[in-house]
Amino acid sequence: MKRILAIALAAVMTLSLAACGAKKEEAPAASAPAASAPAATEKVEVNMIAAQYGTQTADWWADFVAKFNAANENINLVVDVVSWNDIYTVVNTRIANNEAPDLLNIDVFADYQADGLLLPAEEWVSEETYAKFYEAFLDQSVVDGTVWAVPDLASARALYYNVDILNEVGVSVPTTWDELMDVAQKIYDFYGGEVYPWGVDMTTDEGQACFAYYIWNNGGDFTDAEGNWTLNSPENVEAIKFIINMVNAGLTNSDPANETRYDNQDMFGAGKVAMMIGPNSIPTYCSVGGYDVNYAVASIPVNGDNTSVSAGVMDRIMCFDNDYTEAELAAVTAVVDAFYDDEPYSEWVLMEDFLPATSAGGEAMAAANPESAAWIEIVGSAKFYPTAKAEWADVKQGVIDVLQQALLGGDVQTLLDDLQAEIAG
Amino acid sequence: MSTNKLQKAAAKRNQKSLLLRAEPYLWILPSIILMAIFIVVPIGYVFYMSVSDISKAGRVKGFAGLENFEKVVTSAKFAMVLKNTVIWTIAVVVLSTVLGFILALLLNNNFKGRKVARAIVVFPWATTLVIQASTWKFIIDTDYGALNTLLKSLGIISANVNWTPTPEAFFAWEIACGIFVTIPFVCFTALSGLQSIDESYYEAATVDGANYWQKLFNITLPLVKPSLTVATVLNIIYVFNSFPIVWTITKGDPASRTDTLVTYLYKLAFYNGKQGEAAAVSVIGFMILLVCASVYMVSTLKKGED
Repeated sequence: MKRILAIALAAVMTLSLAACGAKKEEAPAASAPAASAPAATEKVEVNMIAAQYGTQTADWWADFVAKFNAANENINLVVDVVSWNDIYTVVNTRIANNEAPDLLNIDVFADYQADGLLLPAEEWVSEETYAKFYEAFLDQSVVDGTVWAVPDLASARALYYNVDILNEVGVSVPTTWDELMDVAQKIYDFYGGEVYPWGVDMTTDEGQACFAYYIWNNGGDFTDAEGNWTLNSPENVEAIKFIINMVNAGLTNSDPANETRYDNQDMFGAGKVAMMIGPNSIPTYCSVGGYDVNYAVASIPVNGDNTSVSAGVMDRIMCFDNDYTEAELAAVTAVVDAFYDDEPYSEWVLMEDFLPATSAGGEAMAAANPESAAWIEIVGSAKFYPTAKAEWADVKQGVIDVLQQALLGGDVQTLLDDLQAEIAG
Repeated sequence: MSTNKLQKAAAKRNQKSLLLRAEPYLWILPSIILMAIFIVVPIGYVFYMSVSDISKAGRVKGFAGLENFEKVVTSAKFAMVLKNTVIWTIAVVVLSTVLGFILALLLNNNFKGRKVARAIVVFPWATTLVIQASTWKFIIDTDYGALNTLLKSLGIISANVNWTPTPEAFFAWEIACGIFVTIPFVCFTALSGLQSIDESYYEAATVDGANYWQKLFNITLPLVKPSLTVATVLNIIYVFNSFPIVWTITKGDPASRTDTLVTYLYKLAFYNGKQGEAAAVSVIGFMILLVCASVYMVSTLKKGED
């Protein structure tokens, strides 16, 4: 009897395990926030993965979903908000299992486009919404003359400087590299090395931004006008030599290969770093961090008489090609229209402390905060990373590696020649 | 009638013995299923990925043969990363074993507050590795680190010292952190071995006039060896595959000088989008560990036969 019981128990355990396995696969659907639950037989489901920008993102989306589903009875919008740490893994796993989301909010798109997974934007964005975007932003998502994704928000970079430090030393904000060297040396001498004149981040986190700041403000670029890689152009080599020299001269934070932008922002907030290039979100970062620093914003210094270029970073929304029926595609379009509707969209951008990608969003932001008007202008003229190119992931890691090797004593020209050869073949 | 009855009885016996024979397998069936789902399938999938051509979006495009392995092995960084991994594993395992064993000897003595001391030793083990590593990173930081602040307030240094001027120095600190978090495991395994040693051995040795070192090398070490061997093999596997310490402190920067195989393959997969090559690195690591584990298994099995 005992034995039979034991066998029965084992069988139950086995079955329950098998059931666990089955459940696990169903999990994504089961865990989705079922907004309004009635038997949704004729409802069209739109499945979206959204990046988690901050602490309020998930709440904002939950609210948006509830409102959207209430207003659109025949659509069931399901949004999974995923952290930046996990989102690439989650999306790639979903794609590998043929469960690609309908809509995706993320930074990159070229890899998905290269695999033929995306629908052109004009097929799922209504004309009315399409007309709202800044032209320069849409250009960043073009491959083979087609726009594959639309921007959801942007951020831009500028020079932040500690007004008190510069006043105490008796220098004015640098506009050229020569002035920068001069000012940095004076700050260094004045404080005997206790204050780092210039904050630099060459880490795996965001070293590519450092690379961009200097090459763009020396007239260089990642690519030429035709889109060919120009990583080892003379302007780029000169620019990288400049910043490496500055580090070696002791005019920057002590360990740029390991100190991220956030470390620099903390030191800037604490008055330990006098100047740094950073995003428009620094004021919020400083106030949330409890830093009371007297700062001001200026254009990024340039070499000679080049024009100052800000670095823009942009995230996107894209639509996967999941063999939609007409009704399904219409539902996707309805979601996108609702997201970019002026009121929720402005709220979204303001909440996350980013810059809007639509003109209406820009106007709303400028009205809410006059200081941001300058930023909207900056982002309008900013340069962006060439993320539309399929080699971008390798280039990004490659330039970070070049910076770090150069810090260790490598020759900039050789390193960039090697990288150019590796990327461009 | 008797034959009929006998046949029935035999049939019943057969049935019973079949059940009896099947029973142990039924008992371990859940574990086997668990292992198959969570161990064998993922390992198989990694092997499959390592010989596949995978797009950056994660789509399998076809069979790639050994191309991924070739790319990995011929890349400029692989040899350096492999060397780092070997140094990291040997340094952490050897030093933590020696120090953990010494600590176990100390804790095996009778002294006041022994229980508290043992509890304290568990702390580094019970804390999440990411928290541990972040704390170490904070301690050695040049600008706002606890070490510099402490030394300054004690008047030992007047200006901040850069404790990590070179990648090698950074790596040494990571190894130190690795040792610190591994010691408790070794210590407790050794302690359990020490406590199972019969006191009478030491009494007999004392009667024979053996000194402390003779007792240590002729009684304690041989009797603790089995526990230490198990701890060492488990440690080799844990430390070789350890990700959080290196990732939290340096992310393998600068220029992969502090990368181990695991952080390197993570960057390959999730920063460069080369999942096929990352899987190949993973398979290489798996093979290295498999060889180490097999050598251990064979040698211990041999001893069992002796």
